[in-house]
Amino acid sequence: MIAKTRNIVKKHDSKGAAPSKDYTNPEFVYLATANARCPNAEVFIKEGDHVNLHQMIGLRHGPFFDQPIHSSVSGTFVGLEKHYHRNGKLTDFIKIKNDFKYTVDPSVTPRSDEEVAKLTKEEMTQIIKENSMVGLGGSSFPTYIKFQTNAPIDVIIINGVECEPLISADDTIMWSEPEKVARGMEILNQAFNCKRCILCIKKMKKSLIKFYEDYFKNRPGLEVKGVGNYYPQGWEFETIKAATGVQLKPGELPSKYGIMDFNVSSVVGIYMAIKEDQPVHIREITVNGDGIVHPQNFKVRVGTLLKEIIAECGGYKDESIPKKIILGGPMMGASIPNDDCVITKTVTSVIVLNDKPVKEEPCVRCGSCVLSCPTGLEPVQIMNAVNTLDKERIKFLNPNKCIECGLCTYSCTSKIRVLDYVRRAKLISKL
Amino acid sequence: MITVIKETSPHLRRRSSVSRMMLDVLIALLPVVVYSVVLWQWKAVVILAVSLAVMIPSEFVFVGIKNKMPYDGAKHSFKEKFKFAYSKYSISNVLAPSVSAVIYAMILPASLADHLYVVAIGALAGIVLGKLVFGGLGSNIFNPAAVGMVIAKLSFGSLFTYNADPFYSTNLGGTVLSSVSAGGYLTINSQFISVLDLFLGKCPGVMGEVSALLILVGAAYLFIRRSADFRPFVAYIGTFLVLMLVAGLCICSKLGFENLSYWKFIGVELFSGGLLFGATFMITDPVTSPINRPGRYIYGIVAGVCTVFIRLFAALPEGVVFSILIANMFAPVIDYYKWSSNKFTLKKIIWIASILVVAIGIVTLVLLSPGVVK
Repeated sequence: MIAKTRNIVKKHDSKGAAPSKDYTNPEFVYLATANARCPNAEVFIKEGDHVNLHQMIGLRHGPFFDQPIHSSVSGTFVGLEKHYHRNGKLTDFIKIKNDFKYTVDPSVTPRSDEEVAKLTKEEMTQIIKENSMVGLGGSSFPTYIKFQTNAPIDVIIINGVECEPLISADDTIMWSEPEKVARGMEILNQAFNCKRCILCIKKMKKSLIKFYEDYFKNRPGLEVKGVGNYYPQGWEFETIKAATGVQLKPGELPSKYGIMDFNVSSVVGIYMAIKEDQPVHIREITVNGDGIVHPQNFKVRVGTLLKEIIAECGGYKDESIPKKIILGGPMMGASIPNDDCVITKTVTSVIVLNDKPVKEEPCVRCGSCVLSCPTGLEPVQIMNAVNTLDKERIKFLNPNKCIECGLCTYSCTSKIRVLDYVRRAKLISKL
Repeated sequence: MITVIKETSPHLRRRSSVSRMMLDVLIALLPVVVYSVVLWQWKAVVILAVSLAVMIPSEFVFVGIKNKMPYDGAKHSFKEKFKFAYSKYSISNVLAPSVSAVIYAMILPASLADHLYVVAIGALAGIVLGKLVFGGLGSNIFNPAAVGMVIAKLSFGSLFTYNADPFYSTNLGGTVLSSVSAGGYLTINSQFISVLDLFLGKCPGVMGEVSALLILVGAAYLFIRRSADFRPFVAYIGTFLVLMLVAGLCICSKLGFENLSYWKFIGVELFSGGLLFGATFMITDPVTSPINRPGRYIYGIVAGVCTVFIRLFAALPEGVVFSILIANMFAPVIDYYKWSSNKFTLKKIIWIASILVVAIGIVTLVLLSPGVVK
């Protein structure tokens, strides 16, 4: 098949408006002592100590910034235990036994609406930094760094596109918590002294767009906009292009054009951090895929074990077939080597797929990858350059433009893992 | 307990495969093949059988030679080596040479059924020199069917005669184009074959190229299934039409519009010979065409210009296969990494426009100069 791919087949899509199941009372929670951006950590508490909900119990150190670790339950610190982190590494996790009382830490001080209205951008940056708010769309990029920009912002774009197939967590948030989304958008407008804040939703979700149009009627500065239904519409550049018409060039920050963008779940997180002074401790995830008995959406406490959630879904379907467990969407998500994994706050979804072995055939130069690539690269040329180890050619072809959306591998007629070659090319071009 | 597999993203794959693509080409060829069997009966069957019987075993032997066991110090028996080599033998190793073989058989005249060694030599040359020496599927520069046909035709040209088919028994002593080439453009008007007959396939010619209608049915199937790219097809036919419209004006104005009907000239040029067959099944071959969008348009334009030049100015009456081979040579140049990209830049549009303008200029200048058109 020689064709451009934009729409990825969506089977097993859970209904957007369906209520999500509550799983916020696990017996133990596990909090990571390291993540991709912060490899080291110090823990402030000793074994047997009592911790409160939202209490800061540790600090993750990274090369550029530190991240506080907040407890997502109240209870007793049991010790350190090794589990798999989202990034596929075996990591030490702080194990806390839940006492189901959820005693809130005295340091948490909810603000009234008047207090929130008086906050300046610098104060908000400080609050967000203390609450270790990161991008919840999956990037886990610290939000306070985005807040530190000095560029004038004309328009803020809220990414509610969720273009990856099989996922509906953001959709559920937008249906169930419109007030938080709207208040979060107002707070962002206030922080950046900006007049427009656009919520981007896929065009095909007509009822959701209608709902928000009505909801934003009496709220000046808030807008909702339907954008394309294709993948990767959720990519920053494509969303900005669809919402404002500005075409960014690779390597440019949106703030250069007076644009700032946030994920919709991050907006809810920012609202909770600023209004209630709570770090992210409960998040919405989707459990889906053809390897799960009852796919559904969950409200889970950060630090819940993945195994418990899968058991809550009824376990695995067809256990004899090997499975792929993916944290994140099936196109860009990371595959983990074991189901002994912890839901951290940047996990948006758990996809369990039955493994279907495919046979790789020689490239027939059909050009589907070239037609599909959203960045205008030529993946097959990069693959040939990697095969011949032609460094000059790899550098000229500029593989660093690649956003790893995976459309080249997805659309490959010969079932070649083209993206792996492009990743290798990225490494070679840095040598 | 379940087994968990770790792999790199993405985890979904599109439902498409190389073998399905090749099967689609075979299905699209089916009407043409059936029609040729109806026209030439056992002759067509024999030619098809011989070319299939040469090309598929050639590929089979090649797989055995290519997949050598890696050296590990131990001695292996022939059986082990054989098993290792053919563990990689897949359905596409059968379908790919069959596609080449059927296309190759369809561009041969039925009269070769009396000289089957010519068919066999051409098929062997086509698959070995056109494909296997470059490394098999996906690595070839030239279209194997075209290479085989050209080698057979250049070596045994006198045997390529276009006799009447036993079904309609229309005998012109050659194809429409060869009689035009020999007798001058005025024969187009005096010929009793109408454009409609050419379109439906009631005319002498090579086995698969006669019926434009059935070829277009195959083309429609291919483009609906997206197993072939429409871009080279559109560019090729478009360039051919534009240049032929200009050439027709020049020729008709020289010979007088009352002596030579303009639209009949265009119709004869479009529906006779291998133009549509080549455009549908040979130029859309993904392996030998460039990989990006503008590249494929440029490729089609180059082939179109070559076809028109060969038809109008060269000694050969028919230029499709040669022009496809020439365009194949340009494919790696078009794909050269320093200027290939998937975007239509201004530079590329200027290139495309200038190729067309130069070609139109050459056509008009040559045709309007005295003594060329007869």
